[in-house]
Amino acid sequence: MSTDLRNTRKVLFAKTGLDGHWRGPLLVTGALEEAGFDVMMLGMATPEETAAAALRDKPDLIGLNICGHIDVVKRTVAMLQEQLPETPIFAGGTVAPWARKELEAIGVEVYPPGSKLKDIVAAAHRLTEG
Amino acid sequence: MSAKEWRTVSNIPLKGVYGPEDIPNGHRDAMQAPPGTAPYMRGAYGEMYRGKPWRIFQLSGFGSPEEEGERIRFLLEHGETGFIMEHDRNTADHMYNVDHAEVMARKEDVGLTGAVIQSVRDYETVLDGIDLAKTYGHPGGGVVQHAPFALGCYWSVARRRGLDLSTLPGTGQSDFFLTYLGCVTKQQIPTDAGLRFNCDIIEFCAEHMKRWVPVSVAGYNGADSGLNAWQELGVVMANAVEYLDEIKRRGNTPVEVAARAVGGMNFRVAMDFFEEIAKLRAARKMWHDLVSRRYGITDPKVKALRLHIVTAGSAMTYQQPLNNIARGTLMALASVLGGTQSLGVSGYDEALSIPSEHAHQMSLRIQQILQEETNVPAVADPLAGSYFVESLTAEVEEKAWAFFEEIQAQGGFLRALDSGWLHRKAGENQLDFQQRLENGEADLVGVTKYEDDHTPYELDGFRGQSGEWQRAHERLEAVRSERDGNRARSALAAVEAACRSDQNIMPAMLEACDAEVTVGEFGEVFRAAYGDWATPI
Repeated sequence: MSTDLRNTRKVLFAKTGLDGHWRGPLLVTGALEEAGFDVMMLGMATPEETAAAALRDKPDLIGLNICGHIDVVKRTVAMLQEQLPETPIFAGGTVAPWARKELEAIGVEVYPPGSKLKDIVAAAHRLTEG
Repeated sequence: MSAKEWRTVSNIPLKGVYGPEDIPNGHRDAMQAPPGTAPYMRGAYGEMYRGKPWRIFQLSGFGSPEEEGERIRFLLEHGETGFIMEHDRNTADHMYNVDHAEVMARKEDVGLTGAVIQSVRDYETVLDGIDLAKTYGHPGGGVVQHAPFALGCYWSVARRRGLDLSTLPGTGQSDFFLTYLGCVTKQQIPTDAGLRFNCDIIEFCAEHMKRWVPVSVAGYNGADSGLNAWQELGVVMANAVEYLDEIKRRGNTPVEVAARAVGGMNFRVAMDFFEEIAKLRAARKMWHDLVSRRYGITDPKVKALRLHIVTAGSAMTYQQPLNNIARGTLMALASVLGGTQSLGVSGYDEALSIPSEHAHQMSLRIQQILQEETNVPAVADPLAGSYFVESLTAEVEEKAWAFFEEIQAQGGFLRALDSGWLHRKAGENQLDFQQRLENGEADLVGVTKYEDDHTPYELDGFRGQSGEWQRAHERLEAVRSERDGNRARSALAAVEAACRSDQNIMPAMLEACDAEVTVGEFGEVFRAAYGDWATPI
């Protein structure tokens, strides 16, 4: 374990739903770890559990995995934005175009299927700068 | 710049042209045997599609039991010849009622992947108006821990209608690949308890339900999680061995009877056209060799492997989604050229949402066009004798056996799931494929190449409806207050006693399903009896 944690940027990941598709999230978290991020994978978590983990761990970025439906995602985002208004949120997974627009409208960057890992890693760097 | 190196997606090098020298001598006997004769590489049946067209078999359902029934009847009216019920992931996969805390925390998600089905009453609603004696049904027991409930309810509905279970047609699934590898649930019983459930179902069907396929060995979710063609083949055989060895150890049912019941397998077919055809041909030969050599089975009906294919959902792109109709067609064609007995084509909007009604209809139409307009069904195993296809079939088989042996060295299929070994294999391939896409070594049309769509056709994706939790909760309350409480309690206690003994659980499950015990109540009993699987990822 590194003794110098000052420059390590923390990303908290959660799956909002009880749908266990893991191939996407694992690819993304693997790429972020490779790029030097400190990834905390919460797994399937309720909005309350995600918000509690975020308050506790103070991540620099929060990633949400989406499997089709976004009402619970939006509720999670609202809780996170109230508690940690400065912390950026991005999301990826199976997200229909209408759902993508709704999430972008509340300030969540969305990476649908077919997104490149290098673009997601670049976004994580950009969102955690400054 | 070096010339492009051509390889299958499973990393088998491809030559520019093949000749007789590429076919190994050991493969020639299988080539000579016509379809319908051992080792069945060329087809399970001599007449193939002249004798019986492949079954059009699509996964369907969402929302309420009424809506799911409506969608199934729609598909049956439009030419589907069997149906697969889809369930709500929150409740069914986890065996939670809608008032379980995990579901209460996500009420809005309920009902969006399939109908919320909590008791035999909901099954009656979905199945209303469907002739169960004549329709090949799949009650949606894909998830191992959920299957005894799904089957118990479906069979109860049939019995309530006065049908004889011994002639009821249909299939279970009880698929370890689904929730232990592909789409891992938050909570589920350990794999050994799941094996016991599956063997109970196999033995119950062997005794009472000769026309019902009790479980199917289904590689789809392993493949769609990243396992390649020969890995899928090897792991599916390792799964079958796990069941048959256990049946043999239990000693209640002859292995030959069990193997006949299990003699159907489900594979994924993706975009590497000839490799997938080779895989299906190799699958039949491997099954024949496996059951002959390992169990001494001689019955030709057991040795002829029947296949169900689902085309790869993961091949369907989010970008330019109508391109997926072409992909679905190609994957369906490969499945048919490989000799499948039934086929589901993934929806062209699969990467966006659960399938819309139109996407469902296109999946049917693709199959109907193949059946009615192309003459493809006229000739059995039409690619036989192709130097390339025969060589690839032999190579896929060889690699699949090597992978099978690797799994045995891990302690067998279930131990390879428990330890996360299979998840790591799948994960390595996913990463490799993603890197090849990002490095430009592989391409996806509309995603990494030809991304400009000059005439964009926007799909918005299927939305489903909200408010399903409330309706499901009302149904649950009605069942609880209206059922015979004493009967339900004692039936559930009998299930618990069966779980904790070595009796077959299915007779008690049937009685308890008929007594309107709910999915969450069974779930509580299973969790108390067996505990939780230690997820290795």
